[in-house]
Amino acid sequence: MSFLAFFFIVVSLVSFVAAQLILKRAMEATKSTGFRNAQFVSKVTGGVILMTISFFLTLGLLQRFDLSYLYPFQGLSVIFITLMAAVMLKEKLNLRLTIGALLISVGIVLVSLS
Amino acid sequence: MQNRPSGFGNPWLQLALSVACGLVSEFLLKRGATEVANTDSAWSWTGVNGLASPLVWWAILLIIASFISWLYVLRYIPITIAFPLSRVVDILVPLGCWIFLGELISPLRWCGIALVVIGLALVAKPIAQIEERL
Repeated sequence: MSFLAFFFIVVSLVSFVAAQLILKRAMEATKSTGFRNAQFVSKVTGGVILMTISFFLTLGLLQRFDLSYLYPFQGLSVIFITLMAAVMLKEKLNLRLTIGALLISVGIVLVSLS
Repeated sequence: MQNRPSGFGNPWLQLALSVACGLVSEFLLKRGATEVANTDSAWSWTGVNGLASPLVWWAILLIIASFISWLYVLRYIPITIAFPLSRVVDILVPLGCWIFLGELISPLRWCGIALVVIGLALVAKPIAQIEERL
């Protein structure tokens, strides 16, 4: 794998994780303020832009590598999103959820390695 | 998770719908992207040339449907629970290939599937308790 491929895989993963966290925050806000406010619109727009970047980078990577090769990196998103949601969104994270997310991540990596 | 809507608005149903659309879109994207692959062009790193394939456009429609369901899910379910559960799609792909296409699954892959199932069970257990209380 070239440096460029690694770089695009990382950018795609980071933008995907960031998008999920921003979208969660946007949807949480709708509970109290509804959908018609500038904060909701700007957050959803930001999330959609980040997801679009991640989508096209993945499409570019899929043209060069097998899905089974790229999947382990998608698997890592589970553990990243779980940890970042606890840190940035202050979601409750207990041992059971952490181990669950870890097992799912490792499982996805094993599924795609074989 | 208070005031959780029921019927079609049930967030767990929407999570399942989002996963199903995501699953089909993965297959369409891979087929579409391979169909029009032109790795000589520097632009192809951005994946934009994938848009030449109709399959990619069908995949985009499904991704939008999956995305709308997902936004709805995020409104009601913590992401620390919803996101790990949504990755059930990662074992549905090899299981689907095994059941419908007769492809073999290696022992290592079975181990991975088992780990994901145990992980999903761990994440889903508190949900059953929350639902019982409602």
